[in-house]
Amino acid sequence: MNDLFFSFIPGDSILHRLDPRTKILGLMLASMFILKVSSFTGMSLLVFVFLSLVATCKIPLKHFFRSIRPMLIFFSLIFFMQLFFTEGQVIFQYRIISASHEGLVLGTVLTLRFVFLLLFAVLLTSTTSPSKITAGIERLLRPLPLRYAGISSHDLAMMMSLSLYFVPLLYDSFKVLRDSQLSRGLDVKKSPLRAIFSLSVPLVSTSLRAVEDVSLAMESRCYRGSGRTSVHSIGYGPMDHIAIIIYLFLLFYYIVF
Amino acid sequence: MISIQNVSYSYNGHIPALHSVSVEIYKGEFVAIIGGNGSGKSTLLRHINGLLLPSAGSVTIKGMDTKDISSVFNIRQIAGMVFQDPGSQFIGMTVGEDIAFGPENLGLPPKEIRRRVESSLSAVGMAGYNDHTPGKLSGGQKQKVALASVLAMEPEVILFDEVTSMLDPDSRMDILSLIKQLHENGTTVVYVTHCLDELVHADRLIIMEKGHITHDGDPRLLISRGDVMNSGLGLPPIMELSRRLLNAGFFEPGCFPLSREELRDVLCQLK
Repeated sequence: MNDLFFSFIPGDSILHRLDPRTKILGLMLASMFILKVSSFTGMSLLVFVFLSLVATCKIPLKHFFRSIRPMLIFFSLIFFMQLFFTEGQVIFQYRIISASHEGLVLGTVLTLRFVFLLLFAVLLTSTTSPSKITAGIERLLRPLPLRYAGISSHDLAMMMSLSLYFVPLLYDSFKVLRDSQLSRGLDVKKSPLRAIFSLSVPLVSTSLRAVEDVSLAMESRCYRGSGRTSVHSIGYGPMDHIAIIIYLFLLFYYIVF
Repeated sequence: MISIQNVSYSYNGHIPALHSVSVEIYKGEFVAIIGGNGSGKSTLLRHINGLLLPSAGSVTIKGMDTKDISSVFNIRQIAGMVFQDPGSQFIGMTVGEDIAFGPENLGLPPKEIRRRVESSLSAVGMAGYNDHTPGKLSGGQKQKVALASVLAMEPEVILFDEVTSMLDPDSRMDILSLIKQLHENGTTVVYVTHCLDELVHADRLIIMEKGHITHDGDPRLLISRGDVMNSGLGLPPIMELSRRLLNAGFFEPGCFPLSREELRDVLCQLK
């Protein structure tokens, strides 16, 4: 489960050493391009950028494909929706179902966009530890006037890292609950509705208890929301400056063309 | 060092847990608090670092009242706490980050935080586990990490809330010897348990029952007199044997053995 959500792979490549802020901004910029590109030349350029980034961080390509797998149903849904529900020149017909040429193109482009978004996001999460990502987001949010909304960027970052933290915890307690209900004769296939209730109600109550435990642990370790420092001393290095300059050029290109 | 004066506490305002409890804990002591379920021992412990505030009475640590909001931060730095459940007291995604959480809250510079993470990890014998995921450690290792994360705040008092109750016997011995070592290095230890075998290292025993302190004194004396048995906790076999030997006049109450090793030594000295 952990491998699925927090695919961080420790390493010492350029991508690993870049400041998390640089990488987050890079992901945002990449997303802008991904959402704009519709030609196949553009797509292949993205593939090239992605592959060369992967090559520098020495993470096997298999890791990235594994992260796509759970989303395959979603991707195929997008593809087939576009394929069958876009009007245009019919290339295939079976009774009332018809696929159009336009649908094929649109479906491919849309699906590839989602795949690229995911791949670039995985590139960020596999080269940056979750706490560094939150530290980076915290720094990026700092200039925003959040205090008028009654929160600080520290609070937001803490909330994000805690929610990330609770995902595997919830999954674990779900497994325990499922096993204990199954051992008491719960038949998921026969009465799925009852199964949902008999799992979700205790799941909510156990997670509330877990939240209480964690908040006690946080409190007894002096958590007070403000005045925190971070173990990660993040700062821009020369590579970050180069990356930012490249970003500026790309941004210029994006706006002009 | 820790002064608890006439403290009463009720959960939700109507489920009484402590009745006018008073106790002084001095610097450098190893105090064990025992009692059955619902005796109020954990509740008392949570008053010491201000996780719970007394309904009546007062708790002060080094002169600071836990009710005073401005000093709660300092109190929690002085008195660290390790909880019972090894699984639910982690905050960080990796062992290193979890240990760093406390020092981060203290506002220390990153370099000092990293130094403390390293030193407290090696203090519990887990050096090199920085990048491990807490969830994938064994129960004993989790408790060691939990202890390390308290040590990283460099507290003067450490409160242990039934920390061994979810561990296997080997990890229990590991944790206990770590605690003993900490105590020898000058840390004040308050150790809540319902396991009488764990009293070997304690130099003071407090027995609680239904929200009252019923006994407070030398563990060897209290156990040899049989005071413990009234609080609903059975004696472990080795202590029961020691007690029968004592009653048969084999040795003095002052050297009442609490463990197999101690009993062996005492018996070997007999002529």
